[in-house]
Amino acid sequence: MQASRARLFKEYKEVQREKAADPDIQLVCDDSNIFKWTALIKGPSETPYEGGVFQLAFAVPEQYPLQPPQVRFLTKIFHPNVHFKTGEICLDILKNAWSPAWTLQSVCRAIIALMAHPEPDSPLNCDSGNLLRSGDVRGYQSMARMYTRLAAMPKKG
Amino acid sequence: MQNQEGAVPDGEKESAISIPISEFDDWTNFADDDIMQQQSAIHAEEANKIHFVGDKEPLSMLAAEYESGSPILLEKIKVLDQQYAAIRRTRGDGNCFFRSFMFSYLEHILESQDRAEVDRIKGNVEECRKTLQSLGYADFTFEDFFALFLEQLDSVLQGNEDSISQDELIIKSRDQSISDYVVMFFRFVTSGEIRKRSDFFEPFILGLTNATVEQFCKSSVEPMGEESDHVHITALSDALGVPIRVVYLDRSSCDSAGVSVNHHDFVPTSGDHSNATSGSTEPARPFITLLYRPGHYDILYPK
Repeated sequence: MQASRARLFKEYKEVQREKAADPDIQLVCDDSNIFKWTALIKGPSETPYEGGVFQLAFAVPEQYPLQPPQVRFLTKIFHPNVHFKTGEICLDILKNAWSPAWTLQSVCRAIIALMAHPEPDSPLNCDSGNLLRSGDVRGYQSMARMYTRLAAMPKKG
Repeated sequence: MQNQEGAVPDGEKESAISIPISEFDDWTNFADDDIMQQQSAIHAEEANKIHFVGDKEPLSMLAAEYESGSPILLEKIKVLDQQYAAIRRTRGDGNCFFRSFMFSYLEHILESQDRAEVDRIKGNVEECRKTLQSLGYADFTFEDFFALFLEQLDSVLQGNEDSISQDELIIKSRDQSISDYVVMFFRFVTSGEIRKRSDFFEPFILGLTNATVEQFCKSSVEPMGEESDHVHITALSDALGVPIRVVYLDRSSCDSAGVSVNHHDFVPTSGDHSNATSGSTEPARPFITLLYRPGHYDILYPK
C-alpha cells in the first residue's frame, strides 16, 4: 500500500514535469485519490480515430506496480480489442505481460499504438474484428470513423 | 491465460464446485479481470501448500517423492545424497530461480559475514543501475526494487541496528512484499544485462523463442512469474558477478557404468571476480547451488 502510493506519487511528479513532452496524452490524477486516474488521448493520425479525443479510466491496485492498473475506455470506441459496452481493453501488458517497467504514461502510449495497430485475431469486439479478418478494411474504417465522430469529437453547433 | 476454463466469477472464491450453472451461460461476465482474479486465487491456494522458500529437508524427502518413479532418478538422488546434505524447496510460481538465488545468496552472506563480497556486489549493483539508465529506463520505475535489495543485503551483515538472524531471513523471504520486490530487482538486473549485451545473447534467445532481444526481455524476463532459462541465469550471474552451480536431476543417462549427476557452473565472464582473499587462480566453487528438475529450481546444501 505504502509502496504503491510512493510509486504513484513519483509518477505524478513525472507527469507534471513532462507535461509538454507528449501532447497526445493528458494524464490526470483524481484530486482526492491517487489510485484513480483519467487520461485524455488523441486518436492517432491516419487512423479512423484521428481527430477524436478518447477518455481512459485507470483504477490502480494496491499491489501496483507489481500488478497492472485496470484501464478502460470511457469514450465509446469501435475497435477490435476494446469491448464495445464496457470499454475493457485487450492488451498483453495490462494482463500477463505487465511489469513495473511500465508506467501509467507508457500504458497510454501503448494504447495509442494499439489504436493504430489493431489485433483482429484476439478480438473483444467481434463485429469489428470480423470486418478486419474478412478483409473489409473499408467497412471497419467507416464504422470506426462514425463512432469517433459521434462519441469522441465535440458536437457541432 | 491458461486457466481460462472453469473461470470463477467475481466473489466466488471459496469453491469452484458451487458455481451456479447459469453463470456459464452469460459469457459477458467473464471479463479478463475475473480471469486474473481467479489466477490470483489459484496462486493463493498454492501459497498455502508451500512457502516462497521452504524449510531445509533431508534428501530422503526428495527420494520419497520418486518412490514409484523412474529408477534413474532414484539412482541419481542416491548420488546426490552422498554430496549434498539438504534441499530447500521454493514455490513453483515461475519465480523459483530468482527466489532460490535470493535466499541462497543472502544466507551465504549471513553465514560468512563476507563484507568484501558485499562491497563487491554493491559495485555491480551500481553498474546495473547505470545500465538501466543508459537503456532509457526511468529511475522511478526500478529504484524501489534496488533499494529493497540493498536493504536486505545490509540487514544480513551483523552489527547494525537492523541486523537480522537466520530465522528472520526466512520470515522475510516468505513475506510477499519483500520477496516479490527482490525478485523484481533481479528481473530488472537480468533484463538490463541481456539488453546491454544483446549481440551476445541474441543467438541464445533466437534458440528459445522467435522474439527479438527487446521483445524477449519485455515478455519473458521483466514480467513476474515468467520462468527462467539458461539465458536468465547467465545474465544474472554475469551482471552481479556471482557464480551459480546448477545440478540437473533429469532422466538423462550417459552409459551403463553407473549414473552420474550432471552439473553446470555459471561463471561470470565480465568483471574481476578473482578471489581476493587467496591467491589461487582456480575459480572458486560457486557458493550457490541450485537443483534443477525440468521446470523448477530448488536450493541444495553441499555437505
